[in-house]
Amino acid sequence: MAAPLRFNVMHFMPYSYLPENHKEFKSTWVSFPNKYFDPDKGHELYNRYIGELVLADQLGYDAVVVNEHHNTVYSLMATPNIIASSLVAQTKNVRICVWGTPPNFMLPNRLAEEYAVLDVMSKGRIEVAFPLGTGMEYWSNPVNPATAREKFRESLKIILQAWSEDGPTTHYGNHYTYRFLNPWPRPYQRPHPPCYIVGTGSPETIDIAAELGFGYASVFVTQARARELNEQLRERASHFGHTIRPDQLPLLTFVYVAETQEKAEKEYIPHLQRFFEDYARTIPQYLAPPGYLSVDQLKVRAATADKMHGGFDFKAISSSFFISVGTPDKVANDIGEWTVRMKTNHINNVMHVADMPHWKTVKNITLFAEEVIPRLRARASSPQRMAAE
Amino acid sequence: MSKFERQTLTVDGVKTVVHTAGHGEPLVFFHGAGTIDGFDFAERWTDRFRVIVPYHPGFGESGDDPTFTTMHDYVMHYLELFDMLRLDRFNLVGLSMGGYLAAKFASEHGHRVKKLTLIAPAGLIDPKNPMLDILAVPGEAVPGLLVSDFEVIKKKLPEKPDLDFMGERYREATTVARLFWEHPGDPKFMRYLHRIKVPTQIIWGEEDKIIPAGQAETWRKFIPNADIQVYKGAGHLVHLERPEAVDAVARFMS
Repeated sequence: MAAPLRFNVMHFMPYSYLPENHKEFKSTWVSFPNKYFDPDKGHELYNRYIGELVLADQLGYDAVVVNEHHNTVYSLMATPNIIASSLVAQTKNVRICVWGTPPNFMLPNRLAEEYAVLDVMSKGRIEVAFPLGTGMEYWSNPVNPATAREKFRESLKIILQAWSEDGPTTHYGNHYTYRFLNPWPRPYQRPHPPCYIVGTGSPETIDIAAELGFGYASVFVTQARARELNEQLRERASHFGHTIRPDQLPLLTFVYVAETQEKAEKEYIPHLQRFFEDYARTIPQYLAPPGYLSVDQLKVRAATADKMHGGFDFKAISSSFFISVGTPDKVANDIGEWTVRMKTNHINNVMHVADMPHWKTVKNITLFAEEVIPRLRARASSPQRMAAE
Repeated sequence: MSKFERQTLTVDGVKTVVHTAGHGEPLVFFHGAGTIDGFDFAERWTDRFRVIVPYHPGFGESGDDPTFTTMHDYVMHYLELFDMLRLDRFNLVGLSMGGYLAAKFASEHGHRVKKLTLIAPAGLIDPKNPMLDILAVPGEAVPGLLVSDFEVIKKKLPEKPDLDFMGERYREATTVARLFWEHPGDPKFMRYLHRIKVPTQIIWGEEDKIIPAGQAETWRKFIPNADIQVYKGAGHLVHLERPEAVDAVARFMS
């Protein structure tokens, strides 16, 4: 793998003050009452979380990543471009990834403009991903899930046209009409910032990435499935005449580093458990609004969900997802193996989960930067390693 | 559907399945926004009528057409189907969403409808008696809302979780979402209801938890001479819970 390894810090920015009675609610998404949001706590959290990403810049990470969710404690980033704007001002070197705003929830020209503003303000440090949006978002935004995929494709076409072609141009589609598509400013990076599609493995979504030659970031799929999806993307992309580079396949990992294995597990696992049980808690109805999935995909997912019943089991969860918790050696070993197996050089680390306190997040981000990254970079440049690959 | 003969047609490119039984004047039944209730009840009409039960595109045995995004698309589909079946003038019965469709069809093409029966019809925007937003209800809660006595619907449901059944319901909900997700009500529908001039009967279950029976009186504002019958001890699927309501349709149509 010739290209150097790349390390991101991704933040969900959760609202970490769940009310005591939160278990009474089957979902902490969509319908979870917003009376439990305390703006003073929100103020503290925004400043703290943005500070943690600024620290990542200072410690030499390659990129920081934000994303968008609505009506949930899982994420306070209903408007990630506003967070990104603050990051542009407070960071110097990191690339800023907005992965991203679902185009369906914004006018396409407006989204093209916002990303272009950020890209120009940051002198080309922006990367964007286009998610369809989770099923939950379609209960929270007035957009039809049954026509979401065709609208998504049309939005992407408009955004790329706005960025790539000299305006004014026109667009006449099923969902949008543009008589003068001519946004100012245009992006700093030409023709546009690096683009990815984010998804959970619907074949329809992979095909969009393949056709456009975009990267694909799979989220919340198992290790085996993620590998399959990467292969599918490579194969489908070649069908459209594109070659997918390793850096276009960001690997979503959950990592926590400490001085000893025991300490790492003790400090991290309770937060990870709350992440899965409380912050990601939702119901099938919210996950799959009508028409959001094809009937076949619905059945596949319902069958998988049945098998995943049962309580939180760290061993099972950490072996099925890309989760590494332990000493710098252990985490470097895991990530080293994964990058080889997944044929990627792009590591997208989630380094804060659920109600993890600030000190642990800082410790994690710092130890990873100072102890894990050098180990992985040393390995990647060693001749034996190169020969083995 | 033992008595019924199954026919598969291609209507403007859409696979359309029609079940037909009985002899006499034609009587067309439009089902609602789901098909778990089945058509067995319609056998009671077959001794007096040629009963014609089509599956709407996107439901039951008929095929899908994702371009159907408004009720108007269904009106056009049925104009085409009725021409193919050489049905010039017929009695029309519609249940729930099928009632909405039947009323819309009759307001636009009244000369083809002999008599009209609406069973717990959807379609009105009636702020005093609002329809339940069924798209916001979790799937597993829907059957219980359809009836007054759960036993009536229980036998139509699988005993154990069934992926195919779940998939079929999801497919029908998808069709409904295409029509109503953004705009559950169409004010234009009510504007033209006064054009319904044919004899009209409206039937409701008093305990309807989906569309309140109070809407029957609102319908009277648009169709002043309608014969309204409200049945006690019945919910939305009044035709399953009260067979005499089914017989009342036959008497009205005769």
